[in-house]
Amino acid sequence: MEYNPPKSLLELYLGFLSIGARSFGGVLPWAHRTMVEERRWIAPGDFAEVLALCQFLPGPNVGNVSVVLGRRWFGPVGSVVAFAGLMALPLVWVFGLALLYADFATHPAVRAVVTGVGVAGGGLFIGTALKLAKPLVQKPWALALAVSCFGVIAIGRMSLFAVLPVAALLGWLGARRGLI
Amino acid sequence: MILHIAFYFAVLSLVSVGGIPSVMPEMQRLVVDVEGWMSAAEYTQLFAIGQAAPGPNVLVTALIGWKVAGIAGGLVALGAFCGPAAALAYTIGGYWDRMRDAPWRKDIQRALVPITVGFIVSGGYVLATPQGPIWQSAVIAGTSAATLYATKLNPLWILAAGGVLGYFLF
Repeated sequence: MEYNPPKSLLELYLGFLSIGARSFGGVLPWAHRTMVEERRWIAPGDFAEVLALCQFLPGPNVGNVSVVLGRRWFGPVGSVVAFAGLMALPLVWVFGLALLYADFATHPAVRAVVTGVGVAGGGLFIGTALKLAKPLVQKPWALALAVSCFGVIAIGRMSLFAVLPVAALLGWLGARRGLI
Repeated sequence: MILHIAFYFAVLSLVSVGGIPSVMPEMQRLVVDVEGWMSAAEYTQLFAIGQAAPGPNVLVTALIGWKVAGIAGGLVALGAFCGPAAALAYTIGGYWDRMRDAPWRKDIQRALVPITVGFIVSGGYVLATPQGPIWQSAVIAGTSAATLYATKLNPLWILAAGGVLGYFLF
């Protein structure tokens, strides 16, 4: 199986454009399908490595993937081109929807539907977190840390900037001692 | 206001372990509680619009900026949130091969799992309770969380179901 990086900046741009354009309901599956399966720019194992890096780092995961791969293939210009391609169409979409919504926001039924979508989206976050939490079930320390973070952030309404340093220190100590 | 958002989002960018879901509570705290630029309900509605569009969920930062300071505000907010993290990814990208198997990296990664879980659940909670913890929200968010957890249904259907339930319940 041959994998070849994009040959031109245009090809890079169009590839990321098509990822952005099709990625309803989650970008990651489309990034994989486009770059690994359709255009065969990068081998699956290699893609998984880059993704692991981008999930480890802060920031939007697939946004970071575009920056890292753009750099690998075309240097700084590649990063900018890949990122711009990824965001271009979704930005137009999202601003269009927002402007449309602004016209109808006073309509109670429209507002109820949109609020329902937002609340369901919040539920999706909770479902995602539950999946991530599966390996923590046998680690009471880790569970206690997760529940404490939820308590102070969501219920206590404390700032992330106050919570993160303390949580990171506790997590680090726990991980060093094999508790997490 | 644009500068304020740009600065705040840029700093937030660097601590967004786990991506956008983790920082949703902090963004909401800033724009709703601290600055009063919008209500909690409007925040959840903007998030909903972001979910209904294709593309990375980071686009919600553009919508928040747009609500506060127009299209320019949206572009600035998106750039501010992506820029610092992208610069970091750009820099680290070259060293990753050496870092990958280092024991300290694995410690950090393990340490971040419970923290990320706590932050993401907080993000979900904050978005799902724009009118406080009422039963209608609990029904919609609970159904959506359980469906995502237990099935392989495309999340778009779950969001659509949330819209239908919202129509009847809110």
